[in-house]
Amino acid sequence: MRVLEPWVGDPLAELLRESSARVALVMTSSGQVIAQHGFTRSLDVMAAAALGAGILATTGELARLLGTRDGFGAVVHQGVGRGVWLAGFDTPRGRWIGLVVFGTESSVGLVRLFFARFAEQIAAAAPPLGPVREVLAEGFERELDDSLRALFGAH
Amino acid sequence: MREVTGVPGVVGALIISSDDGLVVAESAMEDLVTANVAALSAALIARATRAAAAVNPSVPTTMQFVAERGAIFAVAGPAPLWLVAVARPDAELGRLRLLLRDFAGALG
Repeated sequence: MRVLEPWVGDPLAELLRESSARVALVMTSSGQVIAQHGFTRSLDVMAAAALGAGILATTGELARLLGTRDGFGAVVHQGVGRGVWLAGFDTPRGRWIGLVVFGTESSVGLVRLFFARFAEQIAAAAPPLGPVREVLAEGFERELDDSLRALFGAH
Repeated sequence: MREVTGVPGVVGALIISSDDGLVVAESAMEDLVTANVAALSAALIARATRAAAAVNPSVPTTMQFVAERGAIFAVAGPAPLWLVAVARPDAELGRLRLLLRDFAGALG
């Protein structure tokens, strides 16, 4: 498991353990990766994050068009051998998205149950947001490298 | 379903899909979170099925979990449906078991 925010680690580990999920990705609603488990290639993570954020944005807009005030709770793709759970949740850091891939050893119901608990734990564990730092050109490359190293290890 | 929940001590009866752990139909008291019961029951059913397959080539059709503060009974209906009942420890468990078997048979 790789996490950018250390306080996300324990709740995510619990979600994976209790739901028997295989792969998980936590990101902001704009697709910035916060934590991941199960991905081996950084390109896959980036693509999954961008696609996941895009799918939720699309369904959110669809919900708005249909007059559903609170939007859709989650999007589930159920295949023969594996399924994907995709849902947004509110945190003190803004709206985040979770993407969970599960196999036949788990179920939609089980992921739904423990994802709700995960979202509660994240909301409770999130430290208050500090002052927004100015992104300087000279520090950008280093900060980007640090983030990538945290998510994917040495590269 | 109402007949099952009519048994004294039964707090909820559900038809669940063991494949996805979701509620198909339910009749339960308000404080029973049936979605959670369905998810966890389906997980137990899946594990029991794997355990049964490991020790002998048969598929479980009935499961019973009795704990200090309550009990869960699950009876297989037509796949992937299971009938699940949640009961207090003082429930009429024998009558409940018979009723669940009859009901599960009727589901097919």
